[in-house]
Order: sequence, then structure tokens, then C-alpha cells
Amino acid sequence: MIRTLCALGALILLSACGGGGGGGSSSVASSTPPSPPPTLTNTAAVTVDAGPAVLDTGPDAYIQDNTLFVSVTLCAPGTTNCQTIDHVQVDTGSVGLRIIQSVLSPSLLTAMPLQTDPSGNPVGECFGFIDGYVFGSVRQADFQIGGETVAGMPLQVVGDTGVFSTVPSSCSSGGGMNMNTVPEFGANGIIGIGTTTTDCGTFCQTAGGFSAAIYYDCPPSGCASIIARTAAAAAPFQQLPNPVAAMSVDNNGTIISLPAPPAAGEASLAGTLYFGIGTQTNNALGAATVLTVTTSASANGPGLFTAIYSGQTLNESFLDSGSTTYFFVDNTITACSGADFVGYYCPASPLSLNPTLQGLNGASVAGPITLNNAQTLLSTNFSALPGLGANPNVVTGLMAYPNSFDFGLPFFFGRKIYTALEGRSAGGTVGPYIAF
Amino acid sequence: MRQLRTQALVGAAWLVFAAPAHAALGGAYDSVLADRAHLSAKLSSSPAATHTVHALTTANGGVAREYARPDGGVFAVSWRGPARPDLRQLLGGYFDTFQADNAPRGGRRARRPLAVNRADIVVHTGGHPGAFWGVAYLPKMTPAGFSARDLQ
Repeated sequence: MIRTLCALGALILLSACGGGGGGGSSSVASSTPPSPPPTLTNTAAVTVDAGPAVLDTGPDAYIQDNTLFVSVTLCAPGTTNCQTIDHVQVDTGSVGLRIIQSVLSPSLLTAMPLQTDPSGNPVGECFGFIDGYVFGSVRQADFQIGGETVAGMPLQVVGDTGVFSTVPSSCSSGGGMNMNTVPEFGANGIIGIGTTTTDCGTFCQTAGGFSAAIYYDCPPSGCASIIARTAAAAAPFQQLPNPVAAMSVDNNGTIISLPAPPAAGEASLAGTLYFGIGTQTNNALGAATVLTVTTSASANGPGLFTAIYSGQTLNESFLDSGSTTYFFVDNTITACSGADFVGYYCPASPLSLNPTLQGLNGASVAGPITLNNAQTLLSTNFSALPGLGANPNVVTGLMAYPNSFDFGLPFFFGRKIYTALEGRSAGGTVGPYIAF
Repeated sequence: MRQLRTQALVGAAWLVFAAPAHAALGGAYDSVLADRAHLSAKLSSSPAATHTVHALTTANGGVAREYARPDGGVFAVSWRGPARPDLRQLLGGYFDTFQADNAPRGGRRARRPLAVNRADIVVHTGGHPGAFWGVAYLPKMTPAGFSARDLQ
């Protein structure tokens, strides 16, 4: 209800929504009893469930697993032409809001202005994920999540039509699948809330080389030329910002709080995404251990810390709500034998593992996990699958490579995970850091 | 069926060695130069005990390393940077295999790293947007004394 009021308020005064510190929408929601404490609106409900209904239809029907979803609202800038989009994946491993074109109502899509470059042409974007890539337009919309808003925020419309319907070869040559539909992507979109404040940073301000994102000049003849776009987390935007970094308040990070499902799995989980760290009465850092992580200036990339696991020092480890499993290499753990489960770990009984997570600041904390039999978990109809693990090398590797332990969504179960943004002070420490 | 496919791949690799101008993996030294031009990269080469490492550094800091045998043949490629590099270029004739082996299968899905595990080519990848890495190598073409653990 407050959300609806806030969206209407956006027409009149956008900054009134989430713009005034604690209880930022109080001026709009003044019809509620004014007794303290004010209702905090720096939260959004999140779920782990089967995903958009369309996934479970047709010959290739499937249900999602270990995928965290949230709803976001987009409005044509300065209007009440709005749409709430459910099942947008929450990803601490990437940055930027990306929505699959087919889920947008035609009236909203056409009212969301295309971002243009200095040549006056629309801007296109290619963005790589671990398993493939997405390509589409960059458009602007008034964005809302929970009680937080960003006016005129750039987002990627994946699989947009017209000049964007042809993927440039320099985009597809990164390899993997073109994920431009809901079934291929596995969600209606993705909201990247990782540690950096824009989706590409300085990489996209330098011409040449492979970039996290690739921005294109898209004249009517097609998207071909790669262009430089500045990294700004506030208007005037060019690159896609981290939506959290672009908020006017509660913009130093997030907390993901999820309950622990039973060991056998569960159909769905409900949790909370908090915006801000130490900015309200509900998002204090408390006793969480702060582990600082690499910045976007790091040669190895942002968001990395060291995991000490089984005698190995894995200095390219990371926390990633967008990974459905733990990805790590341990050739002593029984691999699954079923053809559909190649690469997953299938311990005969629950296996306790004890990685230690160590920040660049020298702080360390135990991160005990229990690995469960993946074949058993994936043979259920459940979507929250605790202790799901896989070997990124798929089969027994000949190599020590990589030096990485990917703590995927199962690590978030039963924990409260803090992600502080680069260059933003959060709870007394300047990010980027993770804490739990 | 599997046997046939393997033979076809070996044949493809031989052809790439014979005409290396547009492929790094399995190509000769001039394919390294072609990759440098394609990626607009800076090339620096350093010898190791069993091989030579040709490092291609792009303007924004991404690095691809090509591992060459004493006869110049590139038997491995690794990369590290904000994104995956142009793998169609770096994997050459193996790119189609890479794509085919990572095509989605039915059933449950997972965002999992792209990988290839075959007798004649192995590809491992990892990371997250902004921090990607990977390695591709040809086990049957590695020089004597080389350990896959030397790949970085």
C-alpha cells in the first residue's frame, strides 16, 4: 500500500520516496497513524521458489533451484505508467538491473526512453555471465524496490527488438548461451547488487580490451562500434549503476537475510533484503565480522577474498547469491554418477566442511557448511536445496585451477550476509566488504 | 559415435596447425600475432622450462596468455579480466566444440561455469561479472615435462 502511494507520489515529487532518511516516505504515507516508531521502508521481501510460471511449461519445462527472487517496479520517467515485475533474480555477483523484454508491457516499454550516445544513436549493451551473455538496449525508468527509488535509472532491456535483435559477434564471441528469453535466463530479469557502484567501471571508459560490459553505438544499420561510457552512480548516468548505489539513502550496501531450509530441501523460502548498512534501526552491522574484498581496481577483479579450504589458500573466492551451488574443487568428495548430475557432489551422507573466509583486512571467520547429496536434492520438486555443491571443472580436474571457492546461495541460507559497496562507508568501515 | 566425433576433432586440430592464421589454440606463432592484432593487445613473451608464454594485455587490463611449445605450436590459452575475451578468436576451431558442450540440456538448470572435458581439449572457466578467468588446453599437444598445474 505504501508502495503504491509512493509510486503515485513519484509523479509529484520523486525524491519524496525514500528520500528523507529514515521513513523517507512518511510525508506521502501521512494517512497512517503518526505514532512512532515510523515504519521502515528500506526492505523488500525476497523468495527462493520455482521461478516465473512460464519456466514450468512446454517440453523443456523446469523449476528453478537456489535462485533468490525479488519484485521491482518500473515506471516511465515522471509518470504513473508503471509495472511491477516479479521474479527478478537478486545477484550479489553482478551489478545493474536487467529485464527480459518480453515481460514488459508494450506501453511501458515504448515509454521507457532509449539511452543515446554522443552520435545521437541508441546505446546497446552486452553483458557476460558465467554461463553465457545477454544483449539488449539501455533504457531509462523510474525504479522502485521496497520503499527505495531511483529516478531515471538506466537498465538493460534484454532481447529488445529492432536494431537490438541482432547480437554483435563481438558479444557472442565471449561464448556460452544467448539468454534473451525468460526460460533461457531462468528469471524475468536480474538485479545486480554486488560490490561495485557501476556495472563496468573504468573498463568501459577505456577503449579496447574485453570488458565486463560492452556498450555499443546502435545506428539503424546495427550495433557494431564499441563505445566508452562513464561510470557514474548518480545522474547523469551512462553505465548501468548498482541500483543500491544510486539510491538517495540507504545506499552503502545491502543485507540478505534468509532462513535455513530443512536438509532435505523446501519448496520455497521467504526472506528479507535490507537496503543500507547502519543507516536505520533495522540494518545495524552488529557483531558481524567484516571481511574487506578486492576493489574494481584489482587486477583479478572486484569482490574477491581468500578462502582457506582443505589446506589450500584460495585467493579468488567470493560470495555470490547468483550462484545456485557451492562451486569448488575437491577431488576427494564423491562426484554424482547420474548422467544428469555430472559435476555435482554426491556425498553418501551429509558432509561437514569448514572453509575459513579471510578478508584483505586480515580478519577471518569460520564459514562451516554441510554438503548434501546433489542427486537426491535435485530429484525432488523443491527449489531451496541446502548444501548443493558442484565442481566447476565438471570432472576430476588435472589442474589446481582455479584458486577459488564460490560461496553460492546455499551459503546464504540461515545467515545474514552483508555486502558493502566500494568507496561507501558502512557501519564504520569503508567498502567494499562482505560481513556475516 | 563418440569415437567418430573424437576423430573429427583430431582432424580439425591438424588442419588448424597446417593453416594457423585464424586460431590461437592449436595454431603456430603467427596465430599469436593474429590474436594480438584482433585484441589490439600488447604482446610480451617469456620463456619457461618447457614452453614459452605469450602474454597479450589489452588496453583496459585484461590478459590472455598463450602457451607455446618449442616448435611454436600453441597448446594452451588462459585468460583473466573483467570479462571473457573473444573466445571465438582464441579457441579457433575449438570454439564450436566449446559452444556445443555448453548448450543447455533439459531438466534442472544451474548457472554453472562453462567447461569442456574431452580427451583432446579441456576448458575450465570461473568467476563472476567483473572477474572472469579461464583456461583451455590440448592435453595431447603439451610438450614433454609440462604440467597442467603450470597454467595460470
